[in-house]
Amino acid sequence: MFYIKLVYWTCPGLSSPLRPICDLRVLDHFIKEAWDAEAALRACKDACSTATNFTVPLTRVDFDVWEAMNIEEQAQEVQSGIHVLNEAISSLQASNQTDVLQSHIDASISNIASIRQVLRSLSIPEYVPPTSGGEDKEMQKVSSISELFQVHINFLRGKVRLLLANAPVCHQGVS
Amino acid sequence: MTKMRSNRLKIVFMVCLAIVTIGGQHFESKVAQLLQDETEHIKCFVERKDLTCFWEERNHLHHQYTFTYSYENKNKMACAVSSLLAGNKTIFFCKLPKTPFFTTLDVQVLRDGRMLYTRSLNAENFLFLDPPQNLTVMSSGKEGQLNVSWLPPPLKYMDDSMIYEVRYAAEGSNMGKVEVVKVSTMLVLLGLQSDTRYTVWARVKPDGVAYKGYWSAWTEPVFGVTPPSDVDPLIVLLVLFIGLILCLLSLTVILSHHKFLLKKLWPDIPTPEHKFPGLFTVYKGDFKEWMSQNNGSMWGRSAHVYTEELPSPLEVLSEVSLTSHGMSQREEEEEKESERSDSGLTDRWRDPPHAHWLMEQLRALQENPESRCQSSLLQSHDTYVTLNQGDNEQQVYDVFEETLPLQTLFTTAGTSSLSTSHSDLGSLQQSLGSGRLSSRSSFEYPNHTWPHKGPGYAYMAVADSGVSMDYSPMSSSRIAELGRHRMYTNDYKNEICPHKWPLSGQHIKSGSESCTGPVW
Repeated sequence: MFYIKLVYWTCPGLSSPLRPICDLRVLDHFIKEAWDAEAALRACKDACSTATNFTVPLTRVDFDVWEAMNIEEQAQEVQSGIHVLNEAISSLQASNQTDVLQSHIDASISNIASIRQVLRSLSIPEYVPPTSGGEDKEMQKVSSISELFQVHINFLRGKVRLLLANAPVCHQGVS
Repeated sequence: MTKMRSNRLKIVFMVCLAIVTIGGQHFESKVAQLLQDETEHIKCFVERKDLTCFWEERNHLHHQYTFTYSYENKNKMACAVSSLLAGNKTIFFCKLPKTPFFTTLDVQVLRDGRMLYTRSLNAENFLFLDPPQNLTVMSSGKEGQLNVSWLPPPLKYMDDSMIYEVRYAAEGSNMGKVEVVKVSTMLVLLGLQSDTRYTVWARVKPDGVAYKGYWSAWTEPVFGVTPPSDVDPLIVLLVLFIGLILCLLSLTVILSHHKFLLKKLWPDIPTPEHKFPGLFTVYKGDFKEWMSQNNGSMWGRSAHVYTEELPSPLEVLSEVSLTSHGMSQREEEEEKESERSDSGLTDRWRDPPHAHWLMEQLRALQENPESRCQSSLLQSHDTYVTLNQGDNEQQVYDVFEETLPLQTLFTTAGTSSLSTSHSDLGSLQQSLGSGRLSSRSSFEYPNHTWPHKGPGYAYMAVADSGVSMDYSPMSSSRIAELGRHRMYTNDYKNEICPHKWPLSGQHIKSGSESCTGPVW
């Protein structure tokens, strides 16, 4: 039922507004699939190494610092991180990978797209690339595919989940 | 003022000591559990949001331990090491304040400046929570149910990522059940025994999606009593209604088959009323009158109406006259007429054909006893008894059943005569014979004298009704007196005497000493 709803919402040209997806079980499903990918790639550390580095978002969460940020700052951090992750994982599609790795890459790209829709349903501001042209402070470099997917899972269950759990739309009417 | 300040300080100190003690109890139990379960040298767990790492060393070694940590390969930081004595070992531990989550943490243990242990971990994967607080068990009011509730861990952003286990067992029972609850902090226990005291425990663990960790310790046991069984009035009404319907159905079945049941339980005593219509109602039991009125209708009855076994007459014939059985023509015609007139009755109830002949013989004997005594030999088709004295060769038929032809021989020395005849039912005809008969045989015989022939044969027609006669086996001594083959079924005395037999119908007294002869 959830997937039917997501397809409906992702279809362009639909005029009806998106209903907010506040149930965290939706995100938990994507997190579980990210766990599967991370576990599969952890085993092929050496075989899955690449020559290039990947730019990935920082995943560290200091609760005191996070609570001190406003919703826009949190949204910007999450949206930029999802954008960077999507680019890094998508760059793997061009290279020759095993069938198992390819399936995990495809699933991760699809899940990132679904998460973007969920953020849109919660009226989270879209990602705005920096105008300064410099690198984002909240980014880092990784050199292996396994590290890439470790960052992927940590980012989803950390910052993304914290943002969704505290989305203002989901707490409207609750004192 | 000084006293008040010192008192306040003492109170604060006691509170802090209590807090530390409580935390210490939980800390020590967690350390003890991880010492058993965790295989890494550096064992780490997160209490609330602080990461604690520890390792154990033997006591006799005194070394300088250093604990360092770093996030995301940045600069290493040192942590103050503390120690706890645990038997013959020492526990060294370090608590990292405000540990960052969702990032890789690298920790190292150095002993005397040398790397001892190292480990990389994510703090959000090693949550070791305290047992759920405020575990409460209450009765819901419904039969076999208990409501269990508790408080979630006081962790922000994590309360929706918890999984709980609730264990419960009846008091005194070793068998318990475990229920798993996700996210929710209450549970309704179902299917419990009524009016029973139950013990309940609970524990918590991260669900493994966003956060991971260890099962907490079980809470202290909490007790609850289920309400006693309550009979639903609706169920009572339904049971009564169904019972009433069943009673009505069974009553209907019984009434519809009451005749059959009565016949089975209280069978009617059979009465011959239906065989004799009007006998008891019209004629008040006067059979003679009934017979006289119903003679015509009775002729048409089938012989099978009378199914009872009628007594077979016992006839004892005399050997005196062998030609006597040939009835005169007149007598035969008379007999045939009587047969025709009695055709409605069974043969058993009418006089046999030879009854008239016997009467004639008796009359003849009375008139001329000497001539008759020598030649009279009655034959009939009924069972009869022959008295044969003294002849061992004679065949003696031992008849034990009244329905069979009864043959009794009274043997006498030097004589051999055997004759059998069927007794004449209802015929109290006395055949020719010598000797007197006992009073047990009710019959009439002509008053004449039987001539001796040797001792001669004595035949006597006796009506064997099967009821009036006294049938008893003869004693062996009596049998010996009469001979080897003599076996008599009827207890009957027959004294054969060369004197007259009274024919007046008087009962002959038995046991006469003047006569000798077979005694039954």
